[in-house]
Amino acid sequence: MGMDDAWLLPAVPAAAFAALLLFGKYLPRKGDWLAIGAIAASFALFIPVLADLLDEVGREGFAGVVSGTDWVEFDTFNLRLGFMVDQLAIVMLAVVTFVSTLIEIYSVGYMKGDPRYGWFFTAMTLFVTAMITLVLADNLLLLYVAWEGVGFCSYLLIGFWHERRSAAEAAKKAFITTRIGDVGLLIGIILLWREAGTFSIREIIEFAQDGGYSAEYLTTAVLFVFAGAVGKSAQFPLHVWLPDAMEGPTPVSALIHAATMVVAGVYLVARMMPLFVVADPVALDVVTAIGLTTVMLSATMAIVATDIKRVVAYSTMNSLGLMMVALGAHSVTAALFYLFVHGFFKALLFMGAGSVIHGTERQEVWELGGLARKMPLTALAFAVGTLAMIGIFPFSGFWAKDEIVNVAADELAWIVVAFLVFSIFLTAVYMTRLYLLVFTGRPRDDHAHEHAHEAPPVMSLPVLVLAALAVIAGFWAFDQVGRALGFPGGIGEFVFLDEAQEFAFPVVAAISSSLAAVGGMAFAYALWFGEAEQARQLGERFRPLYKLWKNRYYFDDAYQWAINNLVLVGGNVIAWFDRNVVNDTGVDGSAGLAVFSGFQMKFSQTGRLPNYALAIVMGVIILAIVFLAVRV
Amino acid sequence: MTYEEGIFYVVAGMTVIGALGVVVARNVVHSALFLILALVAVAGLFLLLSAEFLAIVQVLIYGGAVTILILFAMMLTRVRDVPQALDGPQRPFAAMAAAAFLSVTILAVVGTDWEALGATEKINVIPIEALGDVLFRNWAVPFELASLVLIVALIGAIVLARGEEGE
Amino acid sequence: MIPIQHFLVLSSILFSLGIYGVLARRSAVLILMSVELMLQAVSINFIAFAVYLAPEEFTGLIFAIFVITVAAAEVGLALAIVLRIYRNKATANVDEVDIMKW
Repeated sequence: MGMDDAWLLPAVPAAAFAALLLFGKYLPRKGDWLAIGAIAASFALFIPVLADLLDEVGREGFAGVVSGTDWVEFDTFNLRLGFMVDQLAIVMLAVVTFVSTLIEIYSVGYMKGDPRYGWFFTAMTLFVTAMITLVLADNLLLLYVAWEGVGFCSYLLIGFWHERRSAAEAAKKAFITTRIGDVGLLIGIILLWREAGTFSIREIIEFAQDGGYSAEYLTTAVLFVFAGAVGKSAQFPLHVWLPDAMEGPTPVSALIHAATMVVAGVYLVARMMPLFVVADPVALDVVTAIGLTTVMLSATMAIVATDIKRVVAYSTMNSLGLMMVALGAHSVTAALFYLFVHGFFKALLFMGAGSVIHGTERQEVWELGGLARKMPLTALAFAVGTLAMIGIFPFSGFWAKDEIVNVAADELAWIVVAFLVFSIFLTAVYMTRLYLLVFTGRPRDDHAHEHAHEAPPVMSLPVLVLAALAVIAGFWAFDQVGRALGFPGGIGEFVFLDEAQEFAFPVVAAISSSLAAVGGMAFAYALWFGEAEQARQLGERFRPLYKLWKNRYYFDDAYQWAINNLVLVGGNVIAWFDRNVVNDTGVDGSAGLAVFSGFQMKFSQTGRLPNYALAIVMGVIILAIVFLAVRV
Repeated sequence: MTYEEGIFYVVAGMTVIGALGVVVARNVVHSALFLILALVAVAGLFLLLSAEFLAIVQVLIYGGAVTILILFAMMLTRVRDVPQALDGPQRPFAAMAAAAFLSVTILAVVGTDWEALGATEKINVIPIEALGDVLFRNWAVPFELASLVLIVALIGAIVLARGEEGE
Repeated sequence: MIPIQHFLVLSSILFSLGIYGVLARRSAVLILMSVELMLQAVSINFIAFAVYLAPEEFTGLIFAIFVITVAAAEVGLALAIVLRIYRNKATANVDEVDIMKW
């Protein structure tokens, strides 16, 4: 069992998915044990792969191990079922397999009693299959297939309670919005393939580094690829689907819309980073700008959001934007480090929110409050997640966020750094606000408060494991910790673009970001602790700003307007053309012509045998003449 | 003109007369009698072609069984000998079509270089033993299938002609 | 010393007369008789080709035998059908049976 056998990782959940789909109904407990077992097996198989990689990683010029088989081969078109294991994939795999295992266990409690309990686990298994394939794919075609696979599972699971109209709408919205980016990704893949003649990621990168693409061509191609990442990772301007995606069950939000699928965009850009480096600098500037815009939009919108899951969703967008900024500074290390710890603390936050929803059946923060006494474990876990998200020393988020600020300070303009620090302040504000409103103060809805109860152990255990990881995962930044675990050093010496990155800890950056975080917490405490009277006054004073944020910068309205006035109007024109020209004239017209001429011509059929016989003889004679003429 | 050719023209003339009689006779029974003439003459042609076995089969099956069958059918369907009703309205077209076909085939026969295709000058005698040998050795399966066809046709004819119960 | 063309022309005449009979006659029985003439023409062709062109193979003769066999079956079946039609329609004239149409 080594890196060559990496195909087993997606194969095990795939087999489980097939079994669940076919026989799930007849299995005891609807097969949840099979789903959890398959994903846990995937995680167990991941460990020897990791060990094998750690043996190999020190070798000179190690750049991952490729295995797999060619499926269909045409001239330059090679359909390949190929898997590549390298440091980048390993970090993603660690998050995907481990967090999925925990969340599946958590779901046993959360989804208990749901009429489609079995289907939930089936779809989750399919998702894990697709996600692992996406991470391991060694060629862009397989990556694209898996990419669409996770998008499809996301659609299924957002619309899991499709009896609710809002859930069905949200699923549709997520699918269509990400599809816009996916088309861009497909165009990008085709552009890259057209010149290089291969889909293999490694060969494309070598081709680009040898100067095979012209600068403009490559820039265009990578920007199209980035469009896919924008859609999947909910970056501006395709971010609108992620808050709505919270209509799905909370474990889905935790796994798909926080820890794994949405970071696929970040992973894709990190994978393709050598291409971005070779391309025109404009490409990376675009990544930075989009990432920073997303950070600022989401941080401000989160301050006024009132749905507990939506706030966490905005914080996810915030984090994704930060990762994009790190990639804009072409630091794969910083982005992947943040991705790694984010997987833990964001899943933790969502599962904490899930426990609250499970315990109270309320989602609006104005109907919650004072839950810390009723749900101490959840409150503790949520507090850990909040502090990690804000980036308070020594929680994991602190190290990861610092890393991003560091690389931004080194590589990007000072204005970007300033915005980043400001976003840390905003993050502290809205995360503290959420915690205060939900867990402290006076209960606002007595019924919900009385009803509230701590989550069952099957739910709280995974939460506590994640809480522990949210505290300690950040210490991987240190070389000593990395070496103790068997890595060559800290994450900087494990995942890097060109050369290993030393652990750096500029005090200025740490202090300024910590100050921003603490300042934000204090600000939020002043505004929202207790009756939140000050916050209300502030909202009244800055009414326009409040409304702007509350209405999510009117993006959804603008898109709706565009759909109504451009897409649907254009669609009506095309529909008219289709109905009248294509259908009535083209299809029905030719059919009508056939009917009419058939009706007219049927009278030439006399029904008398001698006439038919005469026609046959005539035909034979004509054929004979033709034959003779042709032969001579 | 050799005596062989003389015999050929006599037999060929009988065949054509018989055939002509079949298609133009004003009386159906005459038609049937002309048919017998034509069939027997064709058997003569077979003899001339040194196919004695086929000539015997021809006389037995056609001259005997088939004509008898046709006469029975005439009797049962009571085709009355009303002269003007025997030919259909498309007779002129039928004549034209037949003439066109005849000219095309004769053109083809005349226009073909038979020597080049390996035709010999004389009729090659085929021994009946050799024919039987080939028929039951190389063509045994088609031969048996032909028997099957006959059986099926027999049963089919009975089923069709018998009619339904109570009819 | 009869050339092959003699037999082929004769079979052409026989076949053309058969065509004429099939097309011109009204009675189904007469049409069947004409069909027999056409089959005879085909048999003559087969045998002539066999003895002139490929005397060492007997394929033409064998085919003539099969033609006769199938013709016997055909006559039997066709006359049964004619009887049937006659019983249903009280006629054996093919131009009075014109239900094979719209």
